[in-house]
Formats: sequence, structure tokens, C-alpha cells
Amino acid sequence: MLINALNGLVWGSLLFVLSTGLVLVYGLRRVVNFAHGALYMLGAYIGWAAATQFGFLVGVAAAGLGLAIVGIALDLAIFGRLGGRHPLITVIVTFGVLLILEDVVRSVWGTRSYAIDPPEVLAGVVDLFGAPFPVYRLFIVAASAGMAAALAGWLRFSRTGLFVRAASHDASVAAMCGVRTAAIGPMVVGLGAAFAGMSGIVAAPFLSINPSMGSEILVLSFVVSVIGGLGSFWGAFVSAMLLGQVQAFGTVWLPELAALLPFLLMAFVLVFRPQGIAGTEG
Amino acid sequence: MTASLSLRRFLPDRATLIATALAATAVWTTAGFAPRVVVALLTQALIVSFLALGVGVLIRLSGLVTFGHAAPFGLGAYGAAWALGPAAPFAPEIGLVAVVLGVGVLFWAIGLVVGRVEGIAFGMLTLALGQAVHVAAGKFRHLTGGSDGLIVDLPRHLYGARTDALQTPFGMLVIAAVVLAVVLFGLRSFERTRAGRLAVAIRENEERVRFLGYRTRALKALVFALSAAIPALGGVLFTLHQGFVSPEVLTWGFSGHALIMAILGGTVALWGPIAGALAFFVLREELGGITTHWLAILGTTLIVVTVVWPSGLAGAAAALARRLGRRVGEGGTA
Repeated sequence: MLINALNGLVWGSLLFVLSTGLVLVYGLRRVVNFAHGALYMLGAYIGWAAATQFGFLVGVAAAGLGLAIVGIALDLAIFGRLGGRHPLITVIVTFGVLLILEDVVRSVWGTRSYAIDPPEVLAGVVDLFGAPFPVYRLFIVAASAGMAAALAGWLRFSRTGLFVRAASHDASVAAMCGVRTAAIGPMVVGLGAAFAGMSGIVAAPFLSINPSMGSEILVLSFVVSVIGGLGSFWGAFVSAMLLGQVQAFGTVWLPELAALLPFLLMAFVLVFRPQGIAGTEG
Repeated sequence: MTASLSLRRFLPDRATLIATALAATAVWTTAGFAPRVVVALLTQALIVSFLALGVGVLIRLSGLVTFGHAAPFGLGAYGAAWALGPAAPFAPEIGLVAVVLGVGVLFWAIGLVVGRVEGIAFGMLTLALGQAVHVAAGKFRHLTGGSDGLIVDLPRHLYGARTDALQTPFGMLVIAAVVLAVVLFGLRSFERTRAGRLAVAIRENEERVRFLGYRTRALKALVFALSAAIPALGGVLFTLHQGFVSPEVLTWGFSGHALIMAILGGTVALWGPIAGALAFFVLREELGGITTHWLAILGTTLIVVTVVWPSGLAGAAAALARRLGRRVGEGGTA
């Protein structure tokens, strides 16, 4: 029972960190990034390549740094130029980015799947209330909480965070007040991509690394965002945690339907609250 | 007088008739004289173009972009497999029609719910729905055969005709082209009805249409159902042609490819997505032989087309036709 709830927490926190990247980019650029799953996948592969050479921590850092660069390049080359375009055009463009990134991963690493072991320190099993539980899963929760808290703190208390919030609220008014919105775009998209990449490598020892990992989790993080309400961190948090528990208990109680439960939950929420848990009308 | 006038707007005009004749000649020549490989490729493209057409119709009539229309295509394909299978409650002739109608009704009901969501969230929602169907097809093994899929034995006769032709590229190319022509004509007529014009009005400004006193939800759901029934028809043809269905036809990559075809072809003309599908298949075949980076080229093409030339092939053709028309006009006056 408790172990189930904990597994749900692990899965939920992973989904939450991934969704924050999505929410961050949507908040500022009004772009739903279909390439977000591909960024997560790219992070896992880059992290894996670095981790097998220099150790796990370097892998995480490499994934974060590498993807930050990819994100900045994406914003400078593409997202930043789409301002004012129809939102559906931006969606289709990010879909094109997804195809390109998948091609990159396929040509560099092939289509086979890779496994990676957690670092020595986190490899064991810990005894939690009489039941064994892998330490690494607790690390996933801690790392996710740490990343989310750092992001929230940065947005809430730093000066740059204030600028980001201002630009997300209304970019042109923020620019008139002297916020350099042109610099904020690449920064935010880079940060969102770095979050995606880091969650990719952090998830890698728990899941596996393969070319379809991106699209699987992209769909789930979309479910999280739609249930939570687009562009809301709190909504994403609540719905990611909810989804984690639904999946964890679903696999035990309704193994036949478990994979369908997130979609049923989403349909249920949308019937009663089309704007999502935390979304506002219209 | 008014009755004949209002009927006249459903009749094909001269340009449509010429285009139909040209297309028919093209199909006939290809089916008769082109090498077998080319015919096989075009047949596949034409079957998949039903899916692209469904996606395109949704964009054209409601402005909504779907990432999950592999679902109705796949449901049509699986439905045909069940309708032709031993456990089917009806004769296959009735069953195949029932599958297409059934998918339409199902998506009408789904449309009532997802129609509440707009713009981007709609795309994310359809992606998730499509993925749900994909997952379900893998789970319910006793119905779908899981990832192994279903093999279908065609009856010897369907609708009074022998079925051997359905599984040859030549036969299916002609049949698919005829069905597609009927669908196109039906769509063209629908767009000229009151409901069709109202759908476009809703696309432009739903709130204002509601102010005029129309109930918009049922009509939006109807357009969604229509856009799903066309791929379902394609799915039925797919099963009839291949004699085999697997969850491959439900992956979201397939939905995405259909969207690319629709965008590539453009939705300013009804035939745009079909041209897009043909171009997609030919490009993939040609490029696949030269390079392994087909995906990246596809992605780049998609970005360039959406950003630089959003109206696609159909838009390019229209622009060309306008320019030619103007030149001819000038020549006439000079």
C-alpha cells in the first residue's frame, strides 16, 4: 500500500518536472512544445554517453548543459521568430523539430535501447516501514523536488524571475517597462529544455533509454498539462501527483486498464472542467 | 425556379468536370501502363490520403488541428477485420458500412466533449485520445490480436463483385480513386449546404454565431464526426487491400504523418491533402533510396512549408492558376 503510494510519488514527480518545462515555455512563448519529449530523450542519450565515460553526476550535468544549448538555439532559430503567428502553426513547427531531433538520435545512437545503472551510492535498497524500496527511486523524488523548488524560488524571489513572470504575463508591457524580453526568451526555453534533458537522464536508470521514450512521456505530460490547465504550475503539480497515484494503484488493482486510466481521468476532468484544474475561463 | 437554382450549386461546374476527367485519365493510365511498383506505391498513398483528407477537412471546416486521427483510421481498419471475421453479426456488406457509420457516431459523441476545448489544448487532447486507442489495441488481445495484429480472409464476393481485384494494386487503385472521388463530391456538396457554411462561420467566430441564435456544439461535433468517418473509410479499404491489420495503423506517428500530408498539400482546396499524401509517398520513396535522414528532411520541409508557404501545394496551384488566368485575360484584351 505504502510502497504503491511511493511508486506513484516517484512517477508523479518525474512527470511534474517534465511538465514544468512545458508550462514554462508555454507561459512565455505560448508555444506548446511537441518536441519536449524529444528533448527529454536527447537528454537521456547525451547523459548516458557522458555518464558511461565520466560518471553519473557528469552525465546529469552534461544533459542539462547540452539541452540548455539546444533550447537556446531552438528559441533563437525558431520559437522567437514565431511570435504573433497562429498558435497552430507553432505547434506544427515544433512537430517538425521533433522529427529532426528523432533523426539526430537515431543516426547517432541507433534504434536499440540502452540501460544504465544508478551510481554506487544510490544503488542499494532501503528498508521503509518493513518493506524494501530502491534508494534510487527516493533520489528521483528528491531530485525532482529540488529542481522544482529551485525553479519556483528563482521565479518567485530573483529579479530575473520577476522579469520572466512579467514577460509571461504581458510581453509588450514588460518590454515597455525596460525588461529585455529578447534575452528572456532564449533563457526560458533553454531552461525548459535543460529541465527536460535532466529529467531524461535522471529517469534513465528507472526506465530505459530507447527511441520511443520521448513520445511515450510526451503524451503523459500533455495529459498532465491538460488536466492541470495549460500554463499553471500548481495545476501541473496537482495533476502530476494525481496521475502518479492513479498509475501506481491502477497497475495493482486494474492491471488490464492501467495504461488507459490517465486518458479516462483526462476525459472525466474535461467533461466537468474544460479549462483544467487550475485553468481560468477562456 | 429557386429550387433549380439552389440545386444547381451542388452540381459540378466546368472546372471540376475537367479536373475529374483528367484525374480519371491519370488513374487509368497509371493503372494500365505504369510499372507495378509505382502502382503499388500510389495505391498505398491513395488509401492513406483518406486519413490526410479527414485531417484536412477538420482544419478547413473548423480550424482545429488533430494529432490523433490515426484512431478513426485504425478503428475502421480493425472494424473491417471484425466485420469480415467469423464472429460478425451481420453480412459483411452491411458490416463494412456499419463500421464507417459507427466510427462517425462514436466520434460525434467524442466531438461533443472535446469540442469544448479549443486551439492548442484540442491538439494535445486528440493526441492523448489517439494514444489511448493505440494502448487499448495492444491490451485487448482477444479482440485485436495484440501487437501481432489480425489476418483477414476476404469472402469471395462482396457487393456482388469478386474480391480478388481488391488485393491487387491495380484493382485497389481504381476502387480507391472512385471512392475518393465520391467522397470529394460529397464534401463539396456539404460545404455548400447551410450547415457547411455555418461550420465555416463557427471556425471564424464561434461566439458571434452563438449570438445569432445557432447551437454550435452539435454542428462542431458533426464536422468532427465527418472528419473521422473519412479516415474510417480509408481504414476499411486498407484492410480490404492488405488483408492484415496491426497496431501500426494506430501509432501517433501515423497521425502526425497524416497531418504533415494535409499541411504539405494545403487546405485551401479540398484536394490539397490528397496531393500532399501523394507527394509525401513519392518523396519518401525517392529520398529513402538516397539518404537515411528522411525524418530530418521531413521535419525541415514541414517547418519551411508552414512558415514560408502555409497554404501548401493547393495554395501554390491556386496562385499559379490566378497568374495564368490574368495573363490569358491580358492576352484577350490586347
